Amino acid sequence: MAKKTYDLLFKLLLIGDSGVGKTCVLFRFSDDAFNTTFISTIGIDFKIKTVELQGKKIKLQIWDTAGQERFHTITTSYYRGAMGIMLVYDITNAKSFENISKWLRNIDEHANEDVERMLLGNKCDMEDKRVVPKTKGEQIAREHGIRFFETSAKANVNIEKAFLTLAEDILRKTPVKEPNSENVDISSGGGVTGWKSKCC
Amino acid sequence: MEDPDSSPELALEKDPFQLTVEDVYDISYVIGRDLLKIGSESKGQSGRISELQFKIVRVLELLEAMVNQCSLNVEELKMEKDNLKKELERVLSEGARGDAGQLNLGPDKQVIDLTDPNRPRFTLQELREVLQERNRLKAQLLIVQEELQCYKSGSIPPNEEQFVTMENGSTASSTERAAGNNEYTMIKRLFSFKPGKQA
Repeated sequence: MAKKTYDLLFKLLLIGDSGVGKTCVLFRFSDDAFNTTFISTIGIDFKIKTVELQGKKIKLQIWDTAGQERFHTITTSYYRGAMGIMLVYDITNAKSFENISKWLRNIDEHANEDVERMLLGNKCDMEDKRVVPKTKGEQIAREHGIRFFETSAKANVNIEKAFLTLAEDILRKTPVKEPNSENVDISSGGGVTGWKSKCC
Repeated sequence: MEDPDSSPELALEKDPFQLTVEDVYDISYVIGRDLLKIGSESKGQSGRISELQFKIVRVLELLEAMVNQCSLNVEELKMEKDNLKKELERVLSEGARGDAGQLNLGPDKQVIDLTDPNRPRFTLQELREVLQERNRLKAQLLIVQEELQCYKSGSIPPNEEQFVTMENGSTASSTERAAGNNEYTMIKRLFSFKPGKQA
């Protein structure tokens, strides 16, 4: 009998201001690599990474959005299908921290009500350029009842931990019932939690 | 004024506002000639005639001054009119040039330089479609790569006819997929969103 490639499919979404390092965070997690050149994401992109949690193979389909305002009508249509959303700011950029409330409002407006949220303060390797104290990040996360990590895609700090924690939180809410859908939904519509392939 | 067509008497028939200083001189010539005639014809009246002549000369001098002033005014007005006309033409042409450079744009409008090779060309909807297409193809590639890995690792013997069994019972031949015969329906089956199947 052929083995399953995975048991569950979780759709995650990365949001936050342009230049905070969303793509780098994802690239570190999916490819364990880092690139210093800044290339603005055009609209929306995604990467796939399969992880194992509690004996379950979980395929993470992670959507990476463009932070630039001009892409917002495109990116917001992807909120609906997300089961977990990572809101990223840059600890060296005060404006990106101030905009957290704006991004949280976007989540309220466009995402599912039960979406799992997480706040990331990225670029924590740049301590000399820090303008947002860690305590401020912790405070705003506490106020909204969401998890918080300071991360560094460059120095590989807390990246895997953040993704795995978010996946665990989603897994905890997922009904134990075996998923029975084999479809990967890549449209901006609703989410699909499970996909089984028996090809091998 | 030897010209018969411009006999000095004609000046008396002119429109008052067309009168020139020359016309006034013609009139004074005509009146002077007539007074001279009257003077020679009526001896003994010369005192009264010369008295009248002084008054007439005075009236003609007044007329001369008025005509002079009037023609000066007309000349000035003409010059002013010409200047204003030139000014108007300048302003109008400048306005036309200005219009081409910056139209009366509202606060939410922007000008696109059609000679700029990097000018915006595509709509958000077009970008959305291209991105969806890209992401769809990327998802397909990932699945094909996964499947290829299965073949490479020997999980699936390449010579054996394999069937991908769907949860809903439908089957699809993987060799058929490799040949691309049934590519669309296969992809459609793999990627279509089925709300009823949501876990």
